[in-house]
Amino acid sequence: MNYDLVVCGVGGQGVLTLAGVIDHAIHEAGLQLKQSEVHGMAQRGGAVSAFVRMSDQAVASDLIAEGEAHMILSVEPMEALRYLQLLRPDGWIVTDITPMVNVANYPPLEALYQVLFSAPRLVALDAARLAQLAGSIKVQNTVVLGAAAMHLPLPPELFENQLRHLFARKGERIVNANINAFRMGDAASRLAAALVAAGVASDVVARAISRIAFAPQPVPAPCVNAWCQRLLQPDAGALAMRLFEGLESVAPEAVPAA
Amino acid sequence: MSDLIFLGGEAVAHGAIDAGISAAFAYPGTPSTEIYQAIEDHAKKHGHHVRGMWSTNEKVALEEGVGVSYAGRRALVSMKHVGLNVAADPFMNVAVSGVHGGLVVVVADDPGMHSSQNEQDSRYFADFAMVPCLEPADQQQCYDFTREAFELSESLQVPVLLRLVTRLAHSRSRVKLAKARAQNVANFVADPSRFILLPANARRAYASLVDKQTALQAYSESRPDNTLTLREGKRPGILVSGLAWNYLQEALGDALQEYNLLRIGFYPLPVKKIRQLLDASSEVFIVEEGYPFIERYVSALGLMQEPPIRGKLTGDLPRMGELSQDAIKRCFGLPMRASLQIAGLADVLVGRPPSLCDKCPHTDSYLAINEVIAEFNPDARVMGDIGCYTLGAVGPLKGMHSCLCMGASIGMAIGVVHAGMGQALCVIGDGTFTHSGMTALLDAARDNTNIKVFILDNSIIAMTGGQPTMATDEEVVDLVAGLGVPRTHIRIVVPSPHKKPHTTATIREELAYTGLSVIIARRACVTYAKEIKGQKETREHKRMIQVMPV
Repeated sequence: MNYDLVVCGVGGQGVLTLAGVIDHAIHEAGLQLKQSEVHGMAQRGGAVSAFVRMSDQAVASDLIAEGEAHMILSVEPMEALRYLQLLRPDGWIVTDITPMVNVANYPPLEALYQVLFSAPRLVALDAARLAQLAGSIKVQNTVVLGAAAMHLPLPPELFENQLRHLFARKGERIVNANINAFRMGDAASRLAAALVAAGVASDVVARAISRIAFAPQPVPAPCVNAWCQRLLQPDAGALAMRLFEGLESVAPEAVPAA
Repeated sequence: MSDLIFLGGEAVAHGAIDAGISAAFAYPGTPSTEIYQAIEDHAKKHGHHVRGMWSTNEKVALEEGVGVSYAGRRALVSMKHVGLNVAADPFMNVAVSGVHGGLVVVVADDPGMHSSQNEQDSRYFADFAMVPCLEPADQQQCYDFTREAFELSESLQVPVLLRLVTRLAHSRSRVKLAKARAQNVANFVADPSRFILLPANARRAYASLVDKQTALQAYSESRPDNTLTLREGKRPGILVSGLAWNYLQEALGDALQEYNLLRIGFYPLPVKKIRQLLDASSEVFIVEEGYPFIERYVSALGLMQEPPIRGKLTGDLPRMGELSQDAIKRCFGLPMRASLQIAGLADVLVGRPPSLCDKCPHTDSYLAINEVIAEFNPDARVMGDIGCYTLGAVGPLKGMHSCLCMGASIGMAIGVVHAGMGQALCVIGDGTFTHSGMTALLDAARDNTNIKVFILDNSIIAMTGGQPTMATDEEVVDLVAGLGVPRTHIRIVVPSPHKKPHTTATIREELAYTGLSVIIARRACVTYAKEIKGQKETREHKRMIQVMPV
């Protein structure tokens, strides 16, 4: 078994913290790992990435080669596209859709989303918004980790253990915010997977998932079915676009009427 | 268990602690900063008796390390590759004098220039100084080689250079620690003459260094990590060193079995083993991270024809930047893997370079300087320096127009005046000013050169993660005055939007004056406010107490 993961985002978004949580989860799982990361200059608001590699054998290289990554896990939508050359054709992109606009020539958002949402294996969600619901904007990165968890070859409780361990000294409120954030991300990812399995188009899934105010537990099965049926209707594209542009969140149970 | 995942730099730190160092010294610089940081953190956490400090610059750090060695104890000195240029004088000379307690200089090179102005290869420095160099490939070797380096340093009485590269220093993996060794008891050598490099002594000491080369060569040949694997029949061979081994294994996989192989983690080069490799091989690929150091030696600058030597000089591998599995795959003609293609990608992906933080005082400094020089002389050039404020060189601020090396801005401004360009301006941070800007300011003060020195005092070394500065606030004023700048032309401004009128008025007054001015833009870094408070308290505390010997 080997699994390669690119964790990325912008300096200050907690990319290296996420990589550290994943490292320790890998270690706890008894696997070997190598994880390289960017320090220094780039951390001042520049593009930041970490390569996490795990295996049941010794890992040789510190870098991920072209077409080898199983997943890109990004805290920012444009950054999710920066390392595509490393991603296998069947690889996953898991990303927050909240843009960090700190460059003058940041692309128009709708154009960016159109490209991003055309990725075949994608979990896109509004992690910044879910983080606020979880109790702190600072747990934005943890939401994305939660959304990635079901696709990673590690038991989710290992991540939760690491989050508890890492944030213990910051108090119960921060620990709970992280656990809730992780579970909200996971709930989003599970619904997205169900929608994709049901045959809903990738961009429709991305737009709908980005506007659902997930609770820190899986969406109940009847609601999952209702979302699947609703988003297979002929007007699903228009509905998803309306939800997305409306900016309002809907509860997971509040499946819009046909 | 979880504390055993180390960055390469942290693994070196723990190797040094377990090798029984008594002190460590460093100047921060990416990718070397984590080494001393880890030693300091460990000492704080465990009450371990390892002393040392973030030094004023790399030269001072190394001299402090040499002092520890002179007194019979072990010391680790860490810096980035260009830092060794600053420390070159003591480095070259301590090679000649030799050491007493083990002395290891760990230098982190930055191929690909992730956070540096060049990608110089420190193996040349070790070779130049005729001292051994160890080049680990992974985090475990970082730990093991550091311990070995101390043993070797003491047994042969030479300083040892440990070479890291960015991808090793900043990569994490599991490390198994071995039993720690006790520290040395402080003691002086009976006859200090070899430490007094007067010509007569220096000749003797140098002869001793030359003599040591035989022992070093024998050590290199016998060292188990310099492994030679020859296979049946004449076939291509590979000579690989350091981190490049990691990439080579993955790029070639099982095909590696088809090649003769010499793996190197130690210099001077094992010449006999290389001879055997060349004799057994139809051609030899040399795969190394950094400059084509081994390739130049082995191919005799490309003069050697048989067997053909292939590598960076021949264009088989990229001459610049970092190696990777992919670069090696291309070199050996292996297929690349397909990656996910998404239409329209190029239209929505733009670069995201690092930038100054929101509300950074440097932004306000540049805005004020830019406004005034636009009035006085729109063609004026501002000589720049190295720190966070270097990020002000790019748009929209474009506030400085040179960046050469640490502390260069003041000297370069003096040169611009001597070139006949009238008045010259320069910006330098508080950390860089004490690192190597003060001596140049002494030149300007001596001559009352018509330069305007902006010291951007943000009370911390921010770019590398918030290490303590040597002087801030009134200490900077006193230093500048002590160097001979008249107090009337040492001006203090507060770089903030609110105080901008005062700042620009002050700059106008000083630009109107023909002679040396120092304008100190004083406002604490917004990112490291908490650290600055802590560091100021620590400093006060140290001033109050008498430091007790261990």
